[in-house]
Amino acid sequence: MKILIVDDEPPARERLRSLLSEIGDCEVIGEASNGEEALELCSQLKPDVVLLDVRMPGISGLEVARHIDTLADPPAVIFTTAYDQYAVEAFETEAVGYLLKPVRKEKLAHALRHAARISPSRLTRVARTAGMEQRRERICARLGDQLRLIPVEDIYYFLADQKYITVRHKGGEDLIDESLKSLAEEFSNDFVRIHRNALVAEKQISAVERTEDGQYVVRVRDCGAVLQVSRRHAAELLRRIRGES
Amino acid sequence: MRMPEQRSQTPNSFLPDFCAAPAVLAVVLIVELVALMMAIARQSLHQNFWVDLAATSLFLLWIGLGCSAVLCRSRAWLARMPPGRASAVAIAMLVAVVGIVSELVYQAGRFGQFELQSAVTVFPTDHAAFLLRNMAVGFIVSALALRYFYVTAEWKRSIEMEALARIHALQARIRPHFLFNSMNTIASLTRTNPGRAEQAIEDLADLFRASLHDAHTQISLKDEIEIARTHERIEQLRLGDRLRVEWDIGKLPLRAQVPCLIVQPLLENAVYHGIEMLPAGGTIHIRGELVQDRIEIEVRNPVLAHQGYREREGNRMALENIRQRLELAWPGRAWVETTQSDGEFRAKLIFPFTESRSSVIDV
Repeated sequence: MKILIVDDEPPARERLRSLLSEIGDCEVIGEASNGEEALELCSQLKPDVVLLDVRMPGISGLEVARHIDTLADPPAVIFTTAYDQYAVEAFETEAVGYLLKPVRKEKLAHALRHAARISPSRLTRVARTAGMEQRRERICARLGDQLRLIPVEDIYYFLADQKYITVRHKGGEDLIDESLKSLAEEFSNDFVRIHRNALVAEKQISAVERTEDGQYVVRVRDCGAVLQVSRRHAAELLRRIRGES
Repeated sequence: MRMPEQRSQTPNSFLPDFCAAPAVLAVVLIVELVALMMAIARQSLHQNFWVDLAATSLFLLWIGLGCSAVLCRSRAWLARMPPGRASAVAIAMLVAVVGIVSELVYQAGRFGQFELQSAVTVFPTDHAAFLLRNMAVGFIVSALALRYFYVTAEWKRSIEMEALARIHALQARIRPHFLFNSMNTIASLTRTNPGRAEQAIEDLADLFRASLHDAHTQISLKDEIEIARTHERIEQLRLGDRLRVEWDIGKLPLRAQVPCLIVQPLLENAVYHGIEMLPAGGTIHIRGELVQDRIEIEVRNPVLAHQGYREREGNRMALENIRQRLELAWPGRAWVETTQSDGEFRAKLIFPFTESRSSVIDV
């Protein structure tokens, strides 16, 4: 069993490593001290199990777990935490594997035997139950074996076609494999649905114009794209734009 | 989400819930006892003890249950008023109930006289005096009862508040996050570096010993700084070079007398809310100086501009605890100032310079 250890504290990583060396049939293939490193190592080394600290600087453990799930063959995740009453309650209710630090060897071995992949919907529920931020701060796109993190505040719009969603952002364009509906729900504060297949960052809209045939279109700041507004979503869009300004 | 709901359910009324079965049963029992007491007291005036007891208890039961029903119905409404006004309104309503029941009994007596043989003795004859007498008794009894309810409710509330305050104080002293992370560090060090593990355990013991002092305990500033340094050593083991602390306290009079645990919690906060949330870590600046006859100690730390991980009330609670300690030591003459700007958090303690009485022994 190939294992990746993710924790921002060196002594915590060291301890897990030495415990794992005593449990047979597992091999530590890497250590990461923050979320970004963890995602990089996940796509490079393809571990079977990730031991993931909940409280980390930068990308939190829960968000890392959601991005990990973008991988083609996502590893199983076991959370570790020293003390977080709310998160632990959430893990219990959602039956998500977790370990309390200092970790006991028997519990670690048991958790490894029962480690399982955690679906994004279950992670959202965990975040909600634990009273943590449910919205991601980044979107994760997969380019072959590489994971690419796109900060949500850099995104202009999401555009859906048959199979994938195109994310247009400050750094270019990427494809992601998610549903526009769940994206619209998750980022409903900052993004507005303008069409069955389009979701636009509200602060990136520079103008809403009416064409000769009575259709509305949205101009997107900076990137200069012009997007169609469907009749069904026009009213909602205008209300939000007026309400904000 | 769950909290406000719970809060709205907890009644802040001092009145017990008269809609509940136990309360109604208690009212019935009390009424019967009072009726019995009155019947015994008046035995010499009446020929028939049992008829008197029956009449009195019937009359009082109507009043008792009527009052319960009124209080049951109006409880939520009364709870929204200040206690003084709620009491006045409640007394007025209870007296009104007594008046109405008395009036009904009088009228019943007038019309029912011919049907009952004993009615002459059972029913009152003097209308106005009967009403007034009952309402006066009703007024005194309901005032006494409300006073009793109020005092019991206050007593219960103060016990609850005290328990809550103790829990908060305890949590402010020993933050579970720090305890378990330190334990984890020590567990790791016992394998790799037993010498350091030993030192960490000694440091942790010192820290907990200090945290067991009560809020009144005064120690020298030198010792207080030492407690903070002990805390720093433990965090350093855990966070490595992500944590840097710069001490600029050369100008502080170390013999000054201070309440215990006023600097260490600031350092703990700076690590928990600041350094730990930054991938590259940062530097905590602790600066102290003597300005005229006041000591000022400032703790500065970098913080994340926007925090994704919602922080709980820990920071505010620790600061509140320090404020209480300062207030106990120097009422009105010591305070904590906090400012947050440009990704930096500052907390500043300002308190009078008091010489240590035991400084001679210390040095």
